[in-house]
Amino acid sequence: MMQLDTQFFDYEGPEEPELMIPEGWEDRAPAGWEWETLWEAVETGDHIYTDERVREAISLNIDPRVILDDGLFPGFNLQADRFSAQVIFIPEMLISARAMKAGLALIRPLLAAQAEKPVGTFVIGTVLGDMHDIGQSIVTIMLENAGFNVINLGTDVHPDRFIETAQKESADLVGFSALLSTTVYYQKVTIEEFLNAGHRDKVKILVGGAPTTQDWADECGADGWGKDAVDAVKLALKLVETPRAAWN
Amino acid sequence: MSNKIAVTFARLSQRNEAKSVQVARNITILDAARQAGVDIEATCGLRGRCRSCRVKIIKGDMPPPTVQDAVQLGHDEVLEGFRLSCQTRMLGDTTVMPMPPKAEEGHKILAAHDSKADTSVLHLDSGIKKILVQSDTPVEEHHQTSDVEEILSSIPDLKSTEVALRCIRKIPLELRKQNGVLTITGFNGDIIDIEAGDTTDHSYGVAFDIGTTSVVATLLDLQTGEQLASAGGVNAQAVYGGDLMSRIAYAQFDTKKLTTLRAKIINQVNEYIRQCCSAANVNPDHVYKIVIVGNTCMHHIFLGIDVSYLGLAPYAPVVRENLVIPAEELPLKAAPNAQVCMLPIIAGFVGADTVACILSTRIHESDDIRVLVDIGTNGEVVMGSREWLTACSAPAGPALEGAQIRDGMRGAVGAVEKVEVKDDFVCSTIGDVPAIGICGSGLIDAAARLIDQQLMDANGNFRKHDLDELPTDIRKRLIVSEHGHREFVLVWGEEGGKTNAVGITQGDIRQLQLAKSAIYSGIRLLQSVMNISDDEIEQLMLCGGFGNYINMESAKTIRLLPGLSNEHISYVGNAALLGAQMALLSEAERQNAYEITQDIQHVALAARPDFQDIFVDSMTFMGSRFPTSARSSRRKKKNQRQKHVV
Repeated sequence: MMQLDTQFFDYEGPEEPELMIPEGWEDRAPAGWEWETLWEAVETGDHIYTDERVREAISLNIDPRVILDDGLFPGFNLQADRFSAQVIFIPEMLISARAMKAGLALIRPLLAAQAEKPVGTFVIGTVLGDMHDIGQSIVTIMLENAGFNVINLGTDVHPDRFIETAQKESADLVGFSALLSTTVYYQKVTIEEFLNAGHRDKVKILVGGAPTTQDWADECGADGWGKDAVDAVKLALKLVETPRAAWN
Repeated sequence: MSNKIAVTFARLSQRNEAKSVQVARNITILDAARQAGVDIEATCGLRGRCRSCRVKIIKGDMPPPTVQDAVQLGHDEVLEGFRLSCQTRMLGDTTVMPMPPKAEEGHKILAAHDSKADTSVLHLDSGIKKILVQSDTPVEEHHQTSDVEEILSSIPDLKSTEVALRCIRKIPLELRKQNGVLTITGFNGDIIDIEAGDTTDHSYGVAFDIGTTSVVATLLDLQTGEQLASAGGVNAQAVYGGDLMSRIAYAQFDTKKLTTLRAKIINQVNEYIRQCCSAANVNPDHVYKIVIVGNTCMHHIFLGIDVSYLGLAPYAPVVRENLVIPAEELPLKAAPNAQVCMLPIIAGFVGADTVACILSTRIHESDDIRVLVDIGTNGEVVMGSREWLTACSAPAGPALEGAQIRDGMRGAVGAVEKVEVKDDFVCSTIGDVPAIGICGSGLIDAAARLIDQQLMDANGNFRKHDLDELPTDIRKRLIVSEHGHREFVLVWGEEGGKTNAVGITQGDIRQLQLAKSAIYSGIRLLQSVMNISDDEIEQLMLCGGFGNYINMESAKTIRLLPGLSNEHISYVGNAALLGAQMALLSEAERQNAYEITQDIQHVALAARPDFQDIFVDSMTFMGSRFPTSARSSRRKKKNQRQKHVV
């Protein structure tokens, strides 16, 4: 028999990410208010409850930034950390993202009204020939959470549309998603089109998607590759830290 | 230093020999294998994402491991000399042991005898007609005539005067062999063969189902409908990628590679025709009609049509119509006189195989709502009745065929195919031999038992809480693998590696969830498009080689199939092959196939706004959720809140 006993006692396994409770949240909420059930709702992906609680919070005039930071992020970040640590997988991440999306939809217009300044503008889309958007929609939500102004062009996006949008919106970053081994080729094509249009040095380009690798990112001339959504957001934040002037 | 190196592939068994080849330095082991004519299966399409192509370096320069080697094989195997042949490049003379001795002998392919065209309901009308004529030979030099003209004038009710060059070449000899006694063979009025003597009793046809994974052929007597012989095996292209997309990606924008894939399947089809004819003692010259069904990609590759754009949105096929091609043009040399009929296609990912399934299950004539589900790498769902038919493709990926599952394998000898729980887990393998891996039906069973036993929750997480409550024998099966991932051991291995341990990892469960969700959401989406509830479904029919081995209850437990009662679910065998046989025996059916493709509504899943929600919903299993460890401490002080079911 295998050496069971040691492994058996090890079953608790690697350290798992824990919920990061925002410090001093009580001071930013009305007396008697609790966020805990909302953290759990976002974590478990209960989008109906999330919607209800966020509406309730808005009606009580809680600052939208506070709702986002104290109410929505903790549960979602916990899932993102677990996702990164491979404790959970795409299904739960998607379920959680759906709840996050429900909350964000209510908060976003309020944040815009407060003229919050985004950390950068990120144009994202799935390349020409590819209709899949599950991966990039997770990345979109995470980028929005991280404070990016994200312009999601959807799926089957022509290189010209990426370029036009990047120019019009003065995007800092552009991300190409490809979910099929038959469409990754268009990541390279799209980067070449940015070169031809003379806009390659005005943006940082990220690629991602199931069939992609760091090797592929290097080969097609991208500035970076994220192995998963969490990684992609970290990379994006790192890239915008470099002042744009330095890129030109 | 020479740029050439010598690579030797050690022999695997008595049956094959060691093969050596001189190759350029720095090419991958897999490329060298292909140059040497050694088949190594590469399921993930050369991306270093699976272990199928692993080999062992047994002599010579040990190539440095790549990152993918380390990830897929682990530290120990890399040290033992294992490498992924698609990733590793060789620097010097090397001797390599190809690895797949996960012996796939006895790979369960739906044998042809499981599906026979019910000729009682079929009007036999294959379009092949043979007539006996007594032809004159030209006698006088001043008669302005020819052999062909003499023969044509002897045929009553002549519809066409065109004679193929292939026939003309045979005429001088055939005409004079038996003093002008000739058998003329026509297909829908066109002359396709002329031969000496009376062979009117002999007309045969072959029906083919060319799947991404397996190819099956049956030889039928066109005059009686009787099945005479069959042949089948793994699609010879499988070494270039297990699933459809890797196959397309391989051949994309590269005509040479397309030709490679095409040659593989043409050879295989020729081989099966020979096998069938020889088994039934049939002269291959008397095979006049061949019907081929397959998914759009297999169809296109077989015909040598560029598949590059099939892999890109909007995934349009190059051609959809019924096609009839003389065998010599392809070339199918094994049946030189045959007309090859390609059944029509519905869409890029809903091919002629689906059309054939509809044909044989008669959904298009049904009064009640029926659902046809083909569970495969690229699954398809058809739903409806005579009033309205819809179809969609459900890209499940190769997980259900064992690919990208750590201990996964196809349904071959040694694969865990059934999992039961009494006091402890008990696994049965195909062939009742020690387990060497797990196949799709085993995976489905295992997942269902984990759910039954509350070892896994609806979201697919392994149990982490209250482990003490579990029986000891079951509890100790939950382990942490050397990579730090959770795993459930199904079969314990013996020390010294005499037998393998077979387990199911958290990652395997995730792959299973993605795969089964594709099928389940395909069904749900068509239900939503057609506004059909579960109660309205009269019959859900599973087809394809895989459906036979699935435990229906387990499939319902993991929500691969909707929870219909058993009398509403049936297994219909290799419906695609059956449909091909029907089109072989009846031209009316072949025409029906075309009508079906014109009437059916193809639903593109990804283009539907509600798809993502349905897909996410479909990823969960039956049962409830476990509290996560981080939450269990919090839940004590948590206020009760109304729980909404997701």
